[in-house]
Amino acid sequence: MSSQRTAVENLGARGRSWGRIALVLGIAGLALGLWLGSARGDGFRRFEHAWLVSCLFFLSLSLGALFFVIIQHLVRAGWSVVVRRVAEIVAANTLVTALLFAPLVVQLLRGDSSLWPWADANTVHGNPLLEGKAGFLEPRFFALRCVLYFGIWILLGRWLLRRSTEQDTAQDAKPTLALERRAAPAMVAYALSVNFGAFDILMTLEPTWASTIFGVCFFAGSVIGFFALSILLLRFLQARGFMRASVGVEHYHDLGKFLFAFVFFWGYVSFSQFMLIWYADMPEETFWFRERFHGTWANVSWVLLFGHFVLPFAALLSRHTKRALGVLAFLAVWMLCMHAVELFWLVMPTAEKDGALVSGMDAACFVAVGGIWFFALARLAGERSLVPVGDPRLPESLAFENS
Amino acid sequence: MTASATTQAHLEEPYARPKLVEGAEDFGAVTQRVCGVLERPKPPRAWYIGLAISSSLTLLLFTMVVYLIATGVGVWGNNSPAFWGWGIVNFVFWVGIAHAGTLISAILFLLRQKWRTSINRAAEAMTLFAVCCAGLYPAIHVGRIWVAYWLFPFPNQMQMWPNFRSPLLWDVFAVSTYATVSALFWFMGLVPDLATLRDRSTTRLKQVIYGFFALGWRGSARHWQRFERAYLLLAALATPLVLSVHSVVSFDFAVSQVSGWHTTIFPPYFVAGAIFSGFAMVVTVMVPARELFGLKELVTIRHLENMNKVILATGSMVGLAYSTEFFIAWYGGNPYERFAFMNRAFGPYAWAYWIMIFCNVVAPQFFWSKKIRTSPWLMVGVAILVNVGMWFERFVIIVTSLARTYLPSNWGYFKPTWVDICTFAGTIGLFFTLFLLFCRFLPMVAIAEVKGVLPAAHAHPEHPKGGHDHG
Repeated sequence: MSSQRTAVENLGARGRSWGRIALVLGIAGLALGLWLGSARGDGFRRFEHAWLVSCLFFLSLSLGALFFVIIQHLVRAGWSVVVRRVAEIVAANTLVTALLFAPLVVQLLRGDSSLWPWADANTVHGNPLLEGKAGFLEPRFFALRCVLYFGIWILLGRWLLRRSTEQDTAQDAKPTLALERRAAPAMVAYALSVNFGAFDILMTLEPTWASTIFGVCFFAGSVIGFFALSILLLRFLQARGFMRASVGVEHYHDLGKFLFAFVFFWGYVSFSQFMLIWYADMPEETFWFRERFHGTWANVSWVLLFGHFVLPFAALLSRHTKRALGVLAFLAVWMLCMHAVELFWLVMPTAEKDGALVSGMDAACFVAVGGIWFFALARLAGERSLVPVGDPRLPESLAFENS
Repeated sequence: MTASATTQAHLEEPYARPKLVEGAEDFGAVTQRVCGVLERPKPPRAWYIGLAISSSLTLLLFTMVVYLIATGVGVWGNNSPAFWGWGIVNFVFWVGIAHAGTLISAILFLLRQKWRTSINRAAEAMTLFAVCCAGLYPAIHVGRIWVAYWLFPFPNQMQMWPNFRSPLLWDVFAVSTYATVSALFWFMGLVPDLATLRDRSTTRLKQVIYGFFALGWRGSARHWQRFERAYLLLAALATPLVLSVHSVVSFDFAVSQVSGWHTTIFPPYFVAGAIFSGFAMVVTVMVPARELFGLKELVTIRHLENMNKVILATGSMVGLAYSTEFFIAWYGGNPYERFAFMNRAFGPYAWAYWIMIFCNVVAPQFFWSKKIRTSPWLMVGVAILVNVGMWFERFVIIVTSLARTYLPSNWGYFKPTWVDICTFAGTIGLFFTLFLLFCRFLPMVAIAEVKGVLPAAHAHPEHPKGGHDHG
């Protein structure tokens, strides 16, 4: 087995045509979304919320991928080499998300407080909780922090992809060693930026509410999203004839185990957040959950408990579901849907106080951001090999079997 | 040191996985080396000295416990406003230490980290001994120790139940479940090795005792098949326990409305801190132990280095949690919460706070240096600092918040009594006494498991010298 060489496969022309389809869908979604958003006559307030949910969804997939790639280098993993390139491409696809996210920050700088209410001086004035942190929740400082977070994510993702791609032709162990050495500081930068990024972008939507575990909850959801996406991308590519010689059921089994582990972890951290706030019962904290148990939002909360944790936990527990690829793919689709529901549940109650309402505009925004994101993903994949063919641990990954 | 130099060279060469143990290439040598520790007629002189000190301290512990029970909990420093003092500080400290063993045997097993085989047995033993030290505190602090079993819910004619909504009751379940599963896991792993010891016994007594606990193990293929299945199941069951025990311990504080205690990051942050302190204790103990008992080829520098990396990672998580807590205390805008944190850093307990920050956040950063994380005595220095720091972390959390709560007229300054200090010293003695006895009477390294990761265990017929290693 160890002498086996893998042929270089890339998306090539098919990637370009998939990218074009995605772009057309994206632009159509954008046009429809903008039209539906303006038709509401609320100064694009609801549209901005929908746009934020979509941006965060695709951003979180890249952030989950970034975590996966960094940790593979950090622990010198061997099994994952064949599935790592797809993850690297997903992780590097943050520039497009930054560009899609930027209009929201520009609107904020122009004085639009429909998304982040702390930008409105009238809201802050007379509220001691908000006045105390007015220097921190300040549009320009906020924009600067966003630049910093996205800068870290873009640089990390690009660097990991570039060094790994270099190895495809050079057949050289040096990039592996360099990636291993720098994975640890990269992880530090990642942890800080994701933790505080989640506080800034998501938690300040409700500026008087704070929870120290919030960043960890967002991280857990992101990693679930990535593993689900990774399983689906690999199934999609294999169904179209790519990577058939390299990725097998053993690799899916391991991705399924990680999906299971992070479903469990998500349940653990979400329960910690909910239970501690419920138990202490302090009104300055409980209002956040009260909003999410008000009207039809309560249904969404219950859907998350069972759909995001209990059912997938039970379903993924068995070895058979992780090795039956059809079942695993179904669960991956399920988890991606639940991840979208979770982000909707995190963002939208500030805009839809009375109950959970999904509109055509939410779907349009999702297609818009998703289409453009997948277009960029296909371009990034481009002529690159879909497997890190020069990685010194490739033979180990090809021969990998779960004992 | 040439052997370890080769290992280092292998790490620079990603085309092959380095060997996990050095020197001992065949199964017989591993057995010989590990059993040799128990079979030599007399242990080294340092063992006697260590046992003399630690058993004296254990005696001190028993004296203090008797004194406490005879006199009452008033002999401890717990008093208004700090009703929780060293008793719970030490309980949480020891429960934290108890986390390394299960992490190594369960989580690292599920993650296929085969290097764990050289250290898991000793680490699991430390887990059990630390749980003994921890479990002692809730039992002796109840005042009327003869009714300590009331901690457990059991049907009784008085219709008296513990409060099911109290995390203190959850603790009873979490810690006792953890102790049970860890003990089972440890004992099950020991069975094949006990059979080895039985078969090598030179006296009838040893043969009977080891034979009794070896449960009739003969090493047949069916035994091994069931052993491995049971091992996987216990690993999967123990994994959530690694998270649950210290999460529940953190609930003791976080469910309350006390400033500095009520924060949602507590569960994962306590778990990271527990693993941090547990690994530090394993390093502190294993470095002298491998020197003393000649196990350097089985517990290599690389094993120690890997543990130090886990210490660095978990220490950094703890640092991230500290900074998050501090930031949110400010950001949340609650003046009491802000005060609690400013009080920690600049109030009367600032000395404890800065010891904690130095030991837990600064000290592990030395492990970024390969030199320090591969030098046995330097790493012990850092690991001891971490142990000190993690004790202070619990002290800072518990005492600073209680000594200055919402009512300034009720503020105070907690001081431990000599009984507090002697009891804690006594638990350290108990821990080391049990560990030294373990070193002398049970195999410190999991013989059968280490054999499983030797190249010879993966030899293919066409490559009799050993094949690829997936470690």
